[in-house]
Amino acid sequence: MLWVDKYRPKTLDKVLVHQDIAQNLKKLVTEQDCPHLLFYGPSGSGKKTLIMALLRQMFGPSADKVKVENKNWKVDAGTRTIDVELTTLSSTHHVELNPSDAGFQDRYVVQEIIKEMAKNRPIDTKGKKGFKVLVLNEVDKLSREAQHSLRRTMEKYSASCRLILCCNSSSKVTEAVRSRCLNMRINAPREEEIANVLEFISKKEGLQLPSGFADRIAQQSNRSLRRAILSFETCRVQQYPFTVNQAIPPMDWEEYVSEIASSIFKEQSPKRLFEVRGKLYELLINCIPPEIILKRLLYELLKKLDSELKHEISHWAAYYEHRLRLGQKAIFHLEAFVAKFMSIYKGFLIETFG
Amino acid sequence: MQSQDIRKWFMKQQDKGTGNGNSSKQTKSSTPEKPSALTPQSGKLVQGMQECSGRRKTSKYFAKDGKNAKDEMEVEESSTEKKGQRGSMELTKVKSPPGKKIHKLENDDEDEDFVIPTSGKGSVDTTPNKKLKSGSGKGVAQKLVNESDEDDGGKVQSKSKSAGRGRGRGAKGSSITPTTTKGMDVDESDPEDMDDNDANSIKSGGRGRGGRGAPAGGRGRGGGGRGGFMNFGERKDPPHKGEKEVPEGAPDCLDGLTFVISGTLDSLEREEAEDLIKRHGGRVTGSVSKKTNYLLCDEDIGGRKSAKAKELGTAFLTEDGLFDMIRTSNKSKTSAQISKMPVDKVAPSPPKKSPQKSGKTEHAANLVARIDVKGLTSRASSSKRKDQSTAQTWLPWTEKYRPKVPNDIVGNQSLVKQLHDWLVNWNEQFLNTGKKGKGKKQNDSGAKKAVLLSGTPGIGKTTSAKLVSQMLGFQTIEVNASDSRGKADAKIEKGIGGSTSNSIKELVSNEALNLKMDCSQPPKTVLIMDEVDGMSAGDRGGVADLIASIKISKIPIICICNDRYSQKLKSLVNYCLLLSFRKPTKQQMAKRLSQIAKAEGLQVNEIALEELAERVNGDIRMALNQLQYMSLSMSVIKFDDIKQRLQSNSKDEDISPFTAVDKLFGFNGGKLRMDERIDLSMSDPDLVPLLIQENYINYRPSSAGKDDNGMKRMNLLARAAESIGDGDIINVQIRRYRQWQLSQIGCLASSIIPAAILHGQRETLEQGERNFNRFGGWLGKNSTMGKNYRLLEDLHVHLLASRESNLGRAPLRLDYLTLLLKRLTDPLRVLPKDEAVERVVEFMDLYSISMEDFDTMVEMSKFKGHPNALDGIQPVVKSALTRAYNKGSSSRVIRSADLITLPGIKKAPKKRVAAMLEPVEETLAEENAENEEEISSDTEDQEEELIDSDKKLQADLESLNSKGIQVQMELKGSGSSSSAKKPPSGRGKGSAATSDGKGGRGSRAASKRKR
Repeated sequence: MLWVDKYRPKTLDKVLVHQDIAQNLKKLVTEQDCPHLLFYGPSGSGKKTLIMALLRQMFGPSADKVKVENKNWKVDAGTRTIDVELTTLSSTHHVELNPSDAGFQDRYVVQEIIKEMAKNRPIDTKGKKGFKVLVLNEVDKLSREAQHSLRRTMEKYSASCRLILCCNSSSKVTEAVRSRCLNMRINAPREEEIANVLEFISKKEGLQLPSGFADRIAQQSNRSLRRAILSFETCRVQQYPFTVNQAIPPMDWEEYVSEIASSIFKEQSPKRLFEVRGKLYELLINCIPPEIILKRLLYELLKKLDSELKHEISHWAAYYEHRLRLGQKAIFHLEAFVAKFMSIYKGFLIETFG
Repeated sequence: MQSQDIRKWFMKQQDKGTGNGNSSKQTKSSTPEKPSALTPQSGKLVQGMQECSGRRKTSKYFAKDGKNAKDEMEVEESSTEKKGQRGSMELTKVKSPPGKKIHKLENDDEDEDFVIPTSGKGSVDTTPNKKLKSGSGKGVAQKLVNESDEDDGGKVQSKSKSAGRGRGRGAKGSSITPTTTKGMDVDESDPEDMDDNDANSIKSGGRGRGGRGAPAGGRGRGGGGRGGFMNFGERKDPPHKGEKEVPEGAPDCLDGLTFVISGTLDSLEREEAEDLIKRHGGRVTGSVSKKTNYLLCDEDIGGRKSAKAKELGTAFLTEDGLFDMIRTSNKSKTSAQISKMPVDKVAPSPPKKSPQKSGKTEHAANLVARIDVKGLTSRASSSKRKDQSTAQTWLPWTEKYRPKVPNDIVGNQSLVKQLHDWLVNWNEQFLNTGKKGKGKKQNDSGAKKAVLLSGTPGIGKTTSAKLVSQMLGFQTIEVNASDSRGKADAKIEKGIGGSTSNSIKELVSNEALNLKMDCSQPPKTVLIMDEVDGMSAGDRGGVADLIASIKISKIPIICICNDRYSQKLKSLVNYCLLLSFRKPTKQQMAKRLSQIAKAEGLQVNEIALEELAERVNGDIRMALNQLQYMSLSMSVIKFDDIKQRLQSNSKDEDISPFTAVDKLFGFNGGKLRMDERIDLSMSDPDLVPLLIQENYINYRPSSAGKDDNGMKRMNLLARAAESIGDGDIINVQIRRYRQWQLSQIGCLASSIIPAAILHGQRETLEQGERNFNRFGGWLGKNSTMGKNYRLLEDLHVHLLASRESNLGRAPLRLDYLTLLLKRLTDPLRVLPKDEAVERVVEFMDLYSISMEDFDTMVEMSKFKGHPNALDGIQPVVKSALTRAYNKGSSSRVIRSADLITLPGIKKAPKKRVAAMLEPVEETLAEENAENEEEISSDTEDQEEELIDSDKKLQADLESLNSKGIQVQMELKGSGSSSSAKKPPSGRGKGSAATSDGKGGRGSRAASKRKR
């Protein structure tokens, strides 16, 4: 089993980071009622882990008995019926789903399916709670309409249902939804915390951890605990015993993005732009989300960029990311960003070096 | 036309020297590529020319008068036969060389004479001559006021005539046996040139077929063809692009001149230069030949063209020179201004410079004489036609000039011949064998009883079919789309009164009857089935019936269709001899068109006709219609007229997205009107933006002008890219929120703005790439991406189903994948085979990863230029892994999460249960999606486990069974160990019975993997 899964804390008491939040949650739940919750924070900070631990706290071990279903709903949307297919993860007490998977039909998922689920009270009489829990992932990716539909549902069926929303950025959740929830901000763990966790794991695994190695992994992890643990294990697979200056293998796609960045730096020409397009396509095809590509690309570009350009480039990156979300064909906007960067950088080079 | 004028001058001179007898023979000899004769009377020259130019305008009257005169002349010569004409042509051809030879000798002397005295002025003198060419011939005529009417008429006639004739002969030249080898140089060069031209036109034709469609704007054959086929890499931008004013000249000032463009010009793009030359009546070819008058280049790049030009003594002309030529032609209308023309070489100046102004009056008489002689030969055919035309002017030209003999058919002569042969042999081949024994198959398997002519509309399929049959004395029966061509009535006996097809059947099978009625000479019939690909809805079973008819037919059947590859004709093709008509070349068409134009008294120059032929895309019928239409409003048609008219015409046609993008990005793209642009981009509002997006990087924007470091281009690219992004955003609004009123602005943002910013020359970015617009890559990439997301989702669900992890899809790809893949592949690389395989399978089982998921992961981590995850793994190991995995699959704890419908459930819930996991302490129930064969052992396993497990399990099992799901249980820890198959025995009855009773078995059988 992977270490990430193996050492995932199962109860609120066992969490290593965010202990204060865990304790608060525990108190919140033990008082027999629970408001709607909105967990937000960067990926790898432990939102999911906390939610699962919370559910276990609420419903006991039966919350672990989940089944995976791939359901097909027929939603009646006025003039036509729409087929929506969703994967749900459900136990007797909770249903977890990812409504944004339905793409631009997410509105119907929220309007019909979630409402349907929320309406029904749990039959389980033994259950301690009189409500069931709906866990919605990636709420920030829901379209505006879907979020609007959501808020009504949250109010109307609050007697029988609690929503736990989970997302990366609360800014992409409408204020109406946010105000109906108890917002739980889950910070990215600090590097020391990450290092602590890694040491904990190595102790459990009985590994020799050279001093400073955990810190290095923590540094490279971008403050994502999941990343840290995964790359820790990758190092373990790659080479054991560890050496102090052992290279920490980067993610395959990150490596590729950094290659793109350096090729952009090397030459700014239509030809290069064309090549970059091909590489971006490759990343997209390999299921790397375009926002992540853009972010990473910016990160790599900023590394080598002259400081006077940094602000401008960041501005453009944000600009194109916004457009990326408004649009549909990600490559257009990624390419536009690259073209913009090339033109700015080229101008800068010519200006500086003639 | 110009060259023909000059001939007269030559002739006159010749007459002086060699006497009248030669005059007619001379006409042909002076083809433009011949080094010209410069007059010895250089002093007089300028003056003479001035006179001419002064008269230039007035001479137009004479042209008109000439027409009247022509008619008169024609009456005289109407008796002469075409054949005779041709014969005499050959005569002249053969005989001409001696005269010419002498002439050449003279020229040499004269050249020297000429150059020395006027050394400074040499270049000066030559120019105006040329500009006056169009007028020069007529200028003479004016002097002979008395005779001029008749005279000029003759000239007009002979001019155009000989143009057509000369070409025609050039094509046929090879068939004429040269009697005097010495003098054949010139004549031989004709076919050569024709070849050049042909090659050229084929090139451009090929381009059209390649999906580019009609070239944008004025992109002509030379440059266009070139760009299309050969990658010349970087042709530099003109250094002073757009900085010079392009002159406007007299429309015909370059008439008869042939140009070749080489290298980079000073301020014009090649296409622009070509357009300019064509507009002024000049001809642009791709390679240098003897016919070439000028090599247009600003720098001697020493390529093949310039080498050849030097070898042939072709004059070099700079762009400024060209401008001057054009400009002066304009000025000379009012006053004969002498401008300087920087022709690099004076000596081998083009033949047009040779008009001798001296002794015009003396020659006048000769001229008349010559015309008499010439008229006999040249006007015969046209006069004949003319008579006809006056008789029936109301006919559309397409009917009026429908070919009367097979030789008249433009192009495809070999196919016509084939058709002819087929028809000739038909009777012996099929009827005679038929007599020997009924139902006997044709002995020659290659011979077909029917023929299928295919080709684009308007290239003469029907005409040739009819003509050939007529010529062979067949009576033709034509059935086309206007007739109902459904399946024949079952009862043919009902007779001819029924549908057309019945009558066809009659026709086809009634040969015997015909024979009886007229034994001596059976009237032969041929059935022409026109537009067979148009057999559709109404004509049910038409094609099948046609095939049946072909099988039993006793008369030849000619089927005609446009698209041979049409699905409907698939079956028919097997029964027919296939003849695919090709589009005639534009030269062929122009030749024919000029004949017709002449017959109708329409003045059109050849360049214009070629342009017309090119624009109508080989459709001669359409060309004729256009021509007739234009003849209503004007009697003189110029290059620009045709260009303009057809441009507005082509708008109404369907254009492919490629053509649209081509036009938008073409060098003329900036001159299109806004509505034209919208039309173009709206021709396919989905595809055009994709094509634009795919290709915009490839264009070197002409608006950037001089752009040393590519900075401007990069800026423009960024702007275009942003605009394309806008287009995408608007598209979302349109599609998602149905804001269709935005479609125009969407068009603007996604297609028009990028094209407006970047239109220019296309260049290739990759080695070996063809310089065509690529098809948009987005569609393909998007579908691959969709597929990969689906696969990733599968993997995701599997991982979730393993219950070991609770992760999202994005983190799975971004974070987990690297490690998962390492865990899966690294052991295979380092550890010994068995151990590695065992470990990996164990890991896969733990996370419910199937072999397919494994492949998915490998596929998804592939990046170009990076090592594949599977590199370094022995194939043996890999196959061992697959084997081991498959071996374990019988008892796999894994639950493939493929979507499985559960037919056992009567209620048929809306949901399709993929994988259900009810973890109960240490046990795991899972759905089994394996094959039926394994079911028995599965149930045994089940039973065994059942014995061990507690009661609760039983309850679970039953609850699951009740859902019609096949369940297998195992102690989780023994997942891999229990993979050993248990021998089937009778123990299974208990549980099997339960599941049977619940209909579980049935569902199991049905719930096979849906992969």
